[in-house]
Amino acid sequence: MVTKFTRRQFTGGILAGTTALAMPSLAFGARPRVAVIGGGAGGATAAKYIAKDSKGAIDVTLIEASKRYYTCFYSNLYLGGFRSYASIGHNYYGLSVNRGVNVVHEWANSVDTAAKVVNLGHGGQVKYDRLVLSPGISLKYDSLPGYSPEMHSRMPHAWTSGTQVQLLRSKVLNMKKGGTFVMVPPPNPYRCPPGPYERVSMIAHLLKERNPTAKIIILDPKPKFSKQGLFMAGWEKHYPGMIDWIDPDTHGGIKSINATSMEIETDLDTFKADAASVVPAQHAGSIAMAAGVTDGDWCPINPANMTAKADPNIYVLGDASVASSMPKSGFSANSQAKVAANHIRGELTGSRVYEARYANTCWSLVATDDGIKVGANYSAGPEKIDVVSKFVSQGDESADVRKATYQESIGWYEGITTDMFS
Amino acid sequence: MKPLWTVFFFATIFCLSNARADNLLDGADSGYGEYLSGECVTCHSKDGVDKGIPVINGLDAEVFASIMHAYKTGDMDHPVMMMVANRLDEEQIASLAVYFAALPGTN
Ligand SMILES: Cc1cc2nc3c(=O)[nH]c(=O)nc-3n(C[C@H](O)[C@H](O)[C@H](O)COP(=O)(O)OP(=O)(O)OC[C@H]3O[C@@H](n4cnc5c(N)ncnc54)[C@H](O)[C@@H]3O)c2cc1C
Ligand code: HEC
Repeated sequence: MVTKFTRRQFTGGILAGTTALAMPSLAFGARPRVAVIGGGAGGATAAKYIAKDSKGAIDVTLIEASKRYYTCFYSNLYLGGFRSYASIGHNYYGLSVNRGVNVVHEWANSVDTAAKVVNLGHGGQVKYDRLVLSPGISLKYDSLPGYSPEMHSRMPHAWTSGTQVQLLRSKVLNMKKGGTFVMVPPPNPYRCPPGPYERVSMIAHLLKERNPTAKIIILDPKPKFSKQGLFMAGWEKHYPGMIDWIDPDTHGGIKSINATSMEIETDLDTFKADAASVVPAQHAGSIAMAAGVTDGDWCPINPANMTAKADPNIYVLGDASVASSMPKSGFSANSQAKVAANHIRGELTGSRVYEARYANTCWSLVATDDGIKVGANYSAGPEKIDVVSKFVSQGDESADVRKATYQESIGWYEGITTDMFS
Repeated sequence: MKPLWTVFFFATIFCLSNARADNLLDGADSGYGEYLSGECVTCHSKDGVDKGIPVINGLDAEVFASIMHAYKTGDMDHPVMMMVANRLDEEQIASLAVYFAALPGTN
């Protein structure tokens, strides 16, 4: 077959002048340094792409507290029994061995933005020319009336993955026959908008098999939620009569939560739970607060390249950033990481910087072979990240389409975890 | 999974003249394709495993470009891929096509 390529400049996409930037560290023959805090959806992707695409020209250090990353994505499928716990765990060998990333398993304590140094938990330091922050979320326990530390073990939030999710599954499995599960979703904005409702679906799936007279009550602080019509139609179809979603107008607000008696008091009633998952409000991971790049609970960013509004040497990715109109999802964080990585390389090595392009799709599983999805792609607007186009699953889709949607999500999980870690 | 493009391939590609096929790849820049591919590999596993989304590594560049144009026009109908293809112009599609064609495929 005859193929003919004409190499052309993509003038539209290339920011002029990046090559002309001063590169002080290079001038002294040292490799420019990038430190990445957080080896999750945003940070692992950023570390990989900077190391891979700079082909060794940039020294990349990834600071991640845990040796194994359990994805929050698909943790609901583990709850429902569709995935093993082991299958959602990933390690960092690929990044260090294949990509030459220095992976440091330590807690980052603070950032000295003037000296451009990250201080590690055990006293070490990592110097940087550019810093990537992708620490995810921290939970705001004081958002819950009646909070006590016992809540972690008795009403697991399971909103950061790992042992919390295993604990939640065992609580559901040990519920008494005909018992009540109470889900308290977080207020906006929070990590993974459809997450609480997929969780309810997966718990319903588990209960339908093992404890079919059990009930699920959702005490929502929000009057509406992501993919609401699709979820509620799915619940009616697969778990009729089992799930009761109660909006704030009806319950009148959560007045107190008692982890000892497992009681949740609202204006409407006091709900006694046999098992519960209570998810607090959230803010940017605490290290982002410590680095001084937050405004309120989250970090404002420049849509063109994900740099923090407060510091041009710091990029904030994923859940910690204010990347509206993008939702806080693993897909979003992965997409933002590639824009940031491209920009960082341009800044430090003079490589081409292309226009920012972002994308997201969130799949949710409602029941066996019943997958739904919502997605959009985005471009950088002057003030925020703007939607270019979007789609959402339709209410009248055939079972075949729903099954294909679920299968796609399995493909996506494989794709994104390969993209992050290998 | 049976490659979806095979159907489309027999239906359409053989009808295309060589000249048309050349046009499909005009303006290709594999470096730009590599950057653009970042969006694709979140779904299309780069290590060539199909667990629910087809592998696109090593697809013939012209076939690849034709498929993308078919998603763009809606001749191939899939909400995600139609959205993806819709915001790609001809040069971007050509760049992606030559980039992915050069990657080792599944077999
Ligand atoms: C139940 C549930 C279901 C979900 N389902 C989906 C889904 O289907 N699709 C989807 O796209 N998204 C989903 N998400 C959302 C997704 O998990 C997050 O949006 C994504 O992980 C955000 O990436 P991140 O890089 O911002 O943070 P994270 O992935 O949380 O990574 C942060 C990392 O930083 C580390 N860290 C934090 N602070 C420090 C420090 N000071 N020092 C060292 N290390 C530190 C943490 O250990 C962690 O590994 C789901 C979330 C939940 C809770
Ligand atoms: C959100 C997930 C997702 C993203 C992102 C995505 N794709 Fe796809 N792609 C799919 C799915 C699902 C299919 C199967 C579609 C169908 O059934 O027609 C597909 C099919 C294809 C096919 C046809 C393959 C075949 O053998 O039939 C090509 C080519 C392709 N995609 C290219 C791309 C390119 C190039 C990009 C990036 C610019 C991209 N895709 C981004 C999910 C995605």
